[in-house]
Amino acid sequence: MLTAGIDMGTQRVKVAILKDNQIISRSQNFCGFEPTKAAEQAFEEAMKSVQLSRDQLQHVTATGAGVNMAPFSDSTISMMGADARAGAYFFPSARTIIDVGAEDARAVSCDENGTMLDFVVNARCAAGAGTFIEAMARALEVELEEMGTLSLKADRASPINASCVIFAESDVVSLIHREEPKPEIARAIFDAMAERVSSMVRRLGVKPDVILVGGVAKDAGFVSSLKRTLGMDILIPEESLFAGAVGAALIAAKRAGKGR
Amino acid sequence: MASDIEAGSKYIPEMSKKEIEELRSSIRAASIKVIKENTERMKKTWPNRPETMEYFDEISNFFGQREKEIREQKEAGKKVIGYSCMFAPVELILAADAIPVRIGSGWYDAAKLGDRIMPVEVCPVIRSTVGAKMVNLSPYLELSDAIINPLTCDGRTKLSEILSDYKPILPMCPPRVKDDPQSLSLWTEEMQVIKKKIEEVTERKINRKRLRSSIKVMQRATKAFRRLQDLRKGPPVIMGRDAMLVNQTSMWDDIGRWTEKTEALCDELERRVNEKKWACPPDTPRVMVTGTPMMWPDSWKVPNLIEESTPQGVMVADELCSGDRILYDPVGVDEWTMSDMFNAVSERYLMASTCPCFTSEHGNEDRINWLMDRIKENKVDGVIYYVVRGCILYAMEYARVKRVLDRMGLPVYYLDTEYTREDVGQMKTRVEAFLEMLEARIDI
Repeated sequence: MLTAGIDMGTQRVKVAILKDNQIISRSQNFCGFEPTKAAEQAFEEAMKSVQLSRDQLQHVTATGAGVNMAPFSDSTISMMGADARAGAYFFPSARTIIDVGAEDARAVSCDENGTMLDFVVNARCAAGAGTFIEAMARALEVELEEMGTLSLKADRASPINASCVIFAESDVVSLIHREEPKPEIARAIFDAMAERVSSMVRRLGVKPDVILVGGVAKDAGFVSSLKRTLGMDILIPEESLFAGAVGAALIAAKRAGKGR
Repeated sequence: MASDIEAGSKYIPEMSKKEIEELRSSIRAASIKVIKENTERMKKTWPNRPETMEYFDEISNFFGQREKEIREQKEAGKKVIGYSCMFAPVELILAADAIPVRIGSGWYDAAKLGDRIMPVEVCPVIRSTVGAKMVNLSPYLELSDAIINPLTCDGRTKLSEILSDYKPILPMCPPRVKDDPQSLSLWTEEMQVIKKKIEEVTERKINRKRLRSSIKVMQRATKAFRRLQDLRKGPPVIMGRDAMLVNQTSMWDDIGRWTEKTEALCDELERRVNEKKWACPPDTPRVMVTGTPMMWPDSWKVPNLIEESTPQGVMVADELCSGDRILYDPVGVDEWTMSDMFNAVSERYLMASTCPCFTSEHGNEDRINWLMDRIKENKVDGVIYYVVRGCILYAMEYARVKRVLDRMGLPVYYLDTEYTREDVGQMKTRVEAFLEMLEARIDI
C-alpha cells in the first residue's frame, strides 16, 4: 500500500512517502511566501525519486500549522496525533514525544500503538522554539549551524534571566559587551530554551522513553541541554525532521485500510 | 460630608459624546454580524435543526424584538433590574413585578475599552462589561434601573464601584464558606437586605402572594430547563451550542414565554428521539465544558470550535453559570408562608451554587460532585476546562479538578484564552487534537 504524509510546518514543508508502512521517499522545502507551491514541489520531488505518480497513492494525509494550505489531501490529522504515531513508529518504546519546531513546541504522551493519550503545547511563546536559536545566533553573529557545537565547548553557562526572545536578545548583547565567551553564552541560550521545554513536558508527565523530533532535534546543543534539564536520556530518530510527515502517512495507511 | 473626591465620576475617563457614539455604533454593527454568523454556523452544523429553535434565534438578538419589548414595558411603568451573576435572586425581582436581565458581557471588542480603566490582567468578562457600559452598548444594562452585583470574585467587587458611576448598584456578599452553621443565616440576611432594596427601586412590596407566584413561575421554568438537559443524556438529539443558546436566552427573555417555547422544543426533540433522528452521528465524541462563563455572542468561540471541528465533537453537558447551571435547581418550598418561601429562595441560591468562589476543606466538593454526576449521567468522553486569562478562581481550581478526572480516567484539556478572535487558529489545533484523542479512545 502506498500512502503519503504532508507536514505543512511554519518554516518548512515536509513530505514522506510510505510503502507498506516503510519510508521509501522523503523531501522537504522552505515555505517561503507560497507554502502551497513549496509543498507541491517537495511532493513532486519525493514522488519523482521513486518514480511514482499521484494516482498510485491510496491516501494522502496532511498535518501541520499550515494544514489548510496543503495543496491536496484526502484527510487531515492534528500535529499531536501525527507526532504520537511517528514516535511509536520510530521507537516502539516511546511513551513521550517532544516536538520542537520553528515556532512552537509540544509534547505528546502515547501508548504502544502510537495512540495519543494526552498533550501539551507551547504556542504563545517563541522562547521555547527554533526561531529563538536563530535570533540568538544573529545576536552572537555566528551561523545557526554552529550554535550547537559552540555551546558544547562550554563547561558553564552565562547567566541569562530573560525567557522572552526580545529581552533575551538584549541580555545577550550585554553579555557580549562584558566579553563573556561565546560558547558560554550559547550554552545559556540552549539551557534557557530547554528549561522552557522541560517545564512544559513536566506538566504532561515525563514517561520514558522520551523521543525528540522536529527541526530542533538536529541541534546537538539543544539536545545536550534538554537531556540535562530533564535528567534523562532522549532518543532521536534519524528522520526527526520528518516525524510529522511520517506520522501523517501512517495515519493515511490506517485510514486507507479502513476504506475512509 | 461633601468633598472634592465625591464630585464627578470615580473611574470612568471622560469621553466625548461623538467618540462614544462612534464606538457604540461600530461595536454594535460588529456584534450584529457576529450574532448572525453564529446563528448561521449553528444552522449549518445541524442541518435538520428544528423550526422551534428559531424563536431562540430571535431572542438571542440583543438588538431586536426583546429589547423593544422591554423598552415598551419600561415606558409603561415597569422597572428593569439587571444582575451580573447567578447569585441574584430572580424570584424576588419577579415578585416586585420587575424585569430581570443578566448583564455580564461577552463582547470581545468592548473588553478593549475596559483597558482604559483597568490593566489587561483583569478578567476580560469584567473589562468587557465596563467597556460595554462606557459606550452604552448593552441594551439590557442601559435599560436597567438598578444592578444586583454579587461580589463573588475580586473583579466583581471592583465592578460594583466602577458601574456605580452610572447606575444604582445593589451588591450582595455571598459567604465564601458554604457549610459553616452561620453561612446560610448570613446569606438569608443578605437576601432580606436585597429584598428591601428591590422594593425601594421598584416601589412595590414583595408580599406573600407575589413571591409565591414568582416561585411557581420559576419552578415551571426549571422543569422545562431540566427536561431539555435530560434529553442531552442520550444520543445527541440537540447540538450543544443550540442547547446553550436556549439556556442563555432564559436570562433575558420573558421567563413564562421562554418556558412555553422550551417545552415546545422538548416536545419536538422527544419525537426525534423516538424516530432516532439525531443531530449528529451517535458515536460523536461527547464533550463537557467547565470553567469561566461563556457569554453570547463572542464567547461562542470554543463551542463553535468543538462542534465544527474535524473530527467533530458534541457538547452534551457543561458546568457553567452561563449554561446548564442557570435554572437547574428549583426553589423547594414546604409551607407557602413568607418566611418559608424566603428561606427556600435563600437556600437555593447559596447551597446549589458550584461557583469556585467557595472553599472547603475538601476543595469545593459541590462543584466536583456536579462534574462527576454529569460525566456519568451524560456519558461524557472528555472535559474541556475553559479559562479566560485573569479568571483566577477557575484557573486555580483546575489542579484539583484534574486530579479527580485523572482518577476517573477521563481526559481533560485546559484551554486558556482571552477576549480576542486572534487565537482561534491555535485553539483550533488544540481542540482538534483533543477530539482526535477522544475519538481514538472511543474506537478502542
